[in-house]
Amino acid sequence: MKIEHKIYLSNAVHILLIVLIGMFALQNLNEILTKFRFTVIAEGLNANFLEMRLAEKNYFLYGDNEAFNNIKTRIDQTRETLLQVRPDIIRAVGAEKYTKLQDQLHTYAQLVDSVSKASHRDAVVQKKLREAGQNLKTFSENITALESDRIGAIIVRSKNILLYSFWAVVLFAFLFSNLIVRNIGQSLRKVVDLTRSISKGNYRKIEEKPSSDEIGAVISAINAMAEELHKREKEIVQSKRLASIGVLVAGVAHELNNPLNNISMLAQTYAEVYDGLNKEDRVSFMERVDQETERLRVIIHNLLDYAKPKEQHLAKATTNQVIQKILALVQNMLDVSNIRIKLALAEDLPVIYIDEHQIQQVLVNMATNAIQAMGKGGELRIASRYLPDNDEIEIEIGDKGKGIAPEFLDHIFDPFFTTKEESGTGLGLWVSYGIIKNHQGNIRVTSQVGVGTTFIITLPSCKKLMRCTDGEA
Amino acid sequence: MAKHSIMVIDDEKIVGDMAKLSFEQDGYEVETFLNGEPALERLKERRFDVVVTDLKMKGVDGLEVLRTVKKLYPGVKVIMITAFANLDVALEALRDDVHDFFPKPVKIKDLKASVKKAMGEE
Repeated sequence: MKIEHKIYLSNAVHILLIVLIGMFALQNLNEILTKFRFTVIAEGLNANFLEMRLAEKNYFLYGDNEAFNNIKTRIDQTRETLLQVRPDIIRAVGAEKYTKLQDQLHTYAQLVDSVSKASHRDAVVQKKLREAGQNLKTFSENITALESDRIGAIIVRSKNILLYSFWAVVLFAFLFSNLIVRNIGQSLRKVVDLTRSISKGNYRKIEEKPSSDEIGAVISAINAMAEELHKREKEIVQSKRLASIGVLVAGVAHELNNPLNNISMLAQTYAEVYDGLNKEDRVSFMERVDQETERLRVIIHNLLDYAKPKEQHLAKATTNQVIQKILALVQNMLDVSNIRIKLALAEDLPVIYIDEHQIQQVLVNMATNAIQAMGKGGELRIASRYLPDNDEIEIEIGDKGKGIAPEFLDHIFDPFFTTKEESGTGLGLWVSYGIIKNHQGNIRVTSQVGVGTTFIITLPSCKKLMRCTDGEA
Repeated sequence: MAKHSIMVIDDEKIVGDMAKLSFEQDGYEVETFLNGEPALERLKERRFDVVVTDLKMKGVDGLEVLRTVKKLYPGVKVIMITAFANLDVALEALRDDVHDFFPKPVKIKDLKASVKKAMGEE
């Protein structure tokens, strides 16, 4: 469901609740009004009964006809009123009580009539009449009191229900907005995780089907973007590869042109100065030609060797063991150059899945570079650690050598690039780079002139490559 | 008339050796250097009629040699040789400052003609 719809639904529920509460309050008010009207009528009746009793008392005390007529008038008026407000009374107290009230009035009226015919001094009749009048008045007053109590009860009920519904609305609003906020929060966290993962170059998609709300639309858009980025990155990698072939070819040409030029100049000069050369000089010329030819041969051999596609023999391996093995290989160089070794190998590193021979070649290359950069004395640092975020291991090889100037750092992995004065084909780091890339790892370098250089190699764990259980080579 | 002098700078020793043999045969005075630094030091001490330098060298390279020569002796011609077969765009821009370009392998005959021309134009 879209967030928009969720909010609409929440609002609709709120409005419905408020309308229900309002309707309930209105109904209660109507009930109170009805009861109130009835009490007004009942109060009128009560007043009439009181007048009747007063007139009745006067009649018995003084026996005057005016009082007697007054009673009769009041009885008639009451009868009329009772008829007029019949529906009101029945609605309020029921037909039974109405009939009883009518009966009592009728009894009272009959007694009044009998009193008028008999002697008004008759004590028995007097007593009966007084009792009937008293009953009538009490009954009427009881009904009124009952109705007043009911009005009170209704008001209390209304008050309570309003109070409860107020809390219910507040609670509902709180829970519902909480639910929506949590819902949005979870989805947004997914978006954040996704973009973080993309920024690390991991173009995974959110596997589950994106929800149909606005956040889902955002996730779909990001997934589409990741796919597009992935495609673009592949294109860039491809064009970089082509560019590096260009660099390689230019490098090859340069490397070959130098000895070629030497041979050419030796030959041209030899012909030019031939007459002035003794036998020894001539032999020396030819030896130099031969040396330059040998130089060409070595370059071509190295090139072919590096260009030859090598089959990878992948197997599970332990990082620290690989490091220990290459230490044995470079130990002699370390001793000769009087270089200390400082190891910081993390324990519990995950198993990696590599061509051990190739990785050893890379590490020996790094160590050799470091030793050559330091000359005599110094410290070779080798560290290994686990990067849980990417499920990779990291190997760091650092020296305290002369460092590499910033303008050379960008070219350090280019073929035929070398900062070594004499030796060095400029192919070692280029080959290392290729090996690490083929292992789905990464290699980078940091350097400061006069402080030293550090190479950092990352390799995925066998778990990340999903090679922990199979593929024993 | 004093001998014309040539400075040759190339980190390939054979280039200097052969240039020296060949040019001295023609009566030039030749001094050779294997890299830029000592060449620049020498330039501060004396003037050469023509400077022939390799482009790509460790440390002081051919471009720096060119700049220094033009600063110290604006009239002296610089001839550049390089093992890079394709002339870089940046080098094209320097064509005005450089008397001539020779990609390796160099024809000594052509180099000599160029040097002669450089002397003549001086």
